[in-house]
Amino acid sequence: MSRSITLGQYIPGESVIHRLNPRLKILTLVLVLVLLFLLETFSGLIFALALALAIFTLAGIPFSYLLRGLRPILYIALFALVIYFFFTSGGVVLFRIGFITVESEGVEQGLFIVARLVALVLFSLLVTLTTTPLSLTHGMGFFLKPLRYFGLPTDEVAMIMTVALRFIPTLMEESQRLMRAQLARGADFETGSIFRRARSMVPLIVPLFVSAFRRADELALAMEARGFRIGAKRTRMHRDEIMFRDWAALVFVLALIVLALNINI
Amino acid sequence: MFIGTEQLTHIYMPGTPFATKALQDISFSFKQGEFALIIGPSGSGKSTLIQHLNGLLKPTDGKVIFEGKSIGKDKRDLLHLRRRIGLVFQMPEEQFFSETVFDEIAFAPRNQGLAETEVEKRVDGALEKIGLQGLDLKERHPFQLSAGQKRLVAIAAVLSINPEVLILDEPTVALDNTGRKNLFELLTELNREEGLTVIISTHHLDEAAALASSVLVLKQGELVMSGPAEDVFSERDQLYNLGLALPPVTEIMHGIFEKGFSVNTSVYTLQEARREINKLIRRDKP
Repeated sequence: MSRSITLGQYIPGESVIHRLNPRLKILTLVLVLVLLFLLETFSGLIFALALALAIFTLAGIPFSYLLRGLRPILYIALFALVIYFFFTSGGVVLFRIGFITVESEGVEQGLFIVARLVALVLFSLLVTLTTTPLSLTHGMGFFLKPLRYFGLPTDEVAMIMTVALRFIPTLMEESQRLMRAQLARGADFETGSIFRRARSMVPLIVPLFVSAFRRADELALAMEARGFRIGAKRTRMHRDEIMFRDWAALVFVLALIVLALNINI
Repeated sequence: MFIGTEQLTHIYMPGTPFATKALQDISFSFKQGEFALIIGPSGSGKSTLIQHLNGLLKPTDGKVIFEGKSIGKDKRDLLHLRRRIGLVFQMPEEQFFSETVFDEIAFAPRNQGLAETEVEKRVDGALEKIGLQGLDLKERHPFQLSAGQKRLVAIAAVLSINPEVLILDEPTVALDNTGRKNLFELLTELNREEGLTVIISTHHLDEAAALASSVLVLKQGELVMSGPAEDVFSERDQLYNLGLALPPVTEIMHGIFEKGFSVNTSVYTLQEARREINKLIRRDKP
C-alpha cells in the first residue's frame, strides 16, 4: 500500500535534473505544456516524446515509474481512442462493423490526441519525480506571490501545503500500523456488505483523527516556540538561487520543443 | 518448535528505490511457557520481527513457525492464529476508538462472533487479570484513565482474546515507575500463574531481565546474540559493545565482584542483591 503514495512523487537522485532550480523547473514545465498544445504534426509530437524519454534517462528514473505514472490516464486514453475511432468521419474507410465505420481520419486524430496526452503527463512527471515535495511547494509558492495583492495570504498557503505534504507519509504509515494493530484484535476490513465495511473503518478512523489532532497541536506549539507568527516575514535556510545552468536548461528544452513545432515530415 | 523463525528475512518495499532490509536471516525458537525478551536499540528490527509472529507481516524470505507448522497465507488460518497469539503494539492506547472501556475490551471477543453474555464474561475476566476489576471503569471513557491504566486496559483489550501467547512491543515506553511496576506484576502473573508464553521487546534491560528465560539480541536487523537468559547476560562486555547495559543492580554486583569480593553477579532484582550482599557481609565478619 505504501507504494501507492510514491505515485507521481519524488524519487531521490543526484542527477542534473534533480538539481535544477525548482522555480525554473516549474516555469519550464508550464511553457512546455503550452507549446505541446501548439504542436500540430505527428512527427513533432514523436520528437517531443523522445525528448521526454531522453530527460528521463538523464534523471536516472527507472522505466517502471514512468509506466506507473501513466496508469491513471489509461482509461481517459482508451475513452478518447474509442470516441475518435468510431465517431469521427473522413478519410478512407478502414473497416466496418454493422453500421459503425472506422475511418482513417478518426484513427489519426485519436492517436494524435493520446500521444499529446502522454507527452503532457510525461513532462509533468519529470518535474514531480525529480523535485522534493518541499521544493515543489516553495516553487509554487513563488508563483502564487502576485496573488498577495488580492488579499490571499500566499506564504501561509504555501506553509499549509508544505505541512500537509510533510504529513502524508506519516499518516499513511500510522494508518497501516493501526490497521495491523486492529487486525491483531480480530478486526475484519474486507468482508461483508458496504455498510459493514464502512463500520469496520471506525476503529481505524477514530484513532487516526485523535493522533492527527494531537500532532497538529504539538506542531503548532513547536512552531510558535521557534518564533513562527502568521503574517511575519520568513527567511529560509536554503536559498534557491537560480544559476546559469537553470536558465541554460530552460532555453535548451524550449528550443528543442520549438524545433519540434517546425518538424513536418 | 513452539514459536520461532527459520532464516527469516524481511525487506520493506522490495523492488523500489525505497527498499530497506529490516531483518536478515533470523532463526530462533522459544519454548511454550517461556518469558522471552527481544532486545536491541531502536531501529534494530524488533517491531518488524514481532509482527511476523502472528502473521501481520509476511516474510520476504524464510519461515515463521508456530507449533511446528509454518505460518501460511490462508486468511482463515491467520484469523485463528491471531486468536491464539495476542499482540500488543507499541503505545497500544493510541488504538482506542470506543466510548467506554467496556466496548474497547469487548472489541476482540465481539470480532470473534461470541454471544454478548460470553463477551461480558471475557471483559470481566480481562479486567480481573489486569487488577482493575473493582474500580468500576467499564462505563468510563478510555481517555479519562491515567497513563498506566490506559496501558493496562489496552493490554486487557488483547487478553480478552484469551491468547496462549502474549507478545508486547516495548510495553514500558512512556510509563512512570508505578506504571512499570504494575505492568511487570501483571506479566509475571500471566506467565507464572496462567501459563502464558510471554514475549516482550525492549531497548533497555530493566525489570524484564529478572523474568527472562530466553533472550534475543538484535542489531541492525541481524540476530547478534541468542540463548538462555543467564548465558546472554553473562556476556557483559559484548552487550556493552552493542550499546546495551545490564540493569543497574547487576552492574553494581559486577562492581563489587571486580573489587575482589566473590559475589554472584547474575542478580537482577534489589531483593536478590540485598541477599547476596548480606551473605557477603556475614561471611566476612571475623
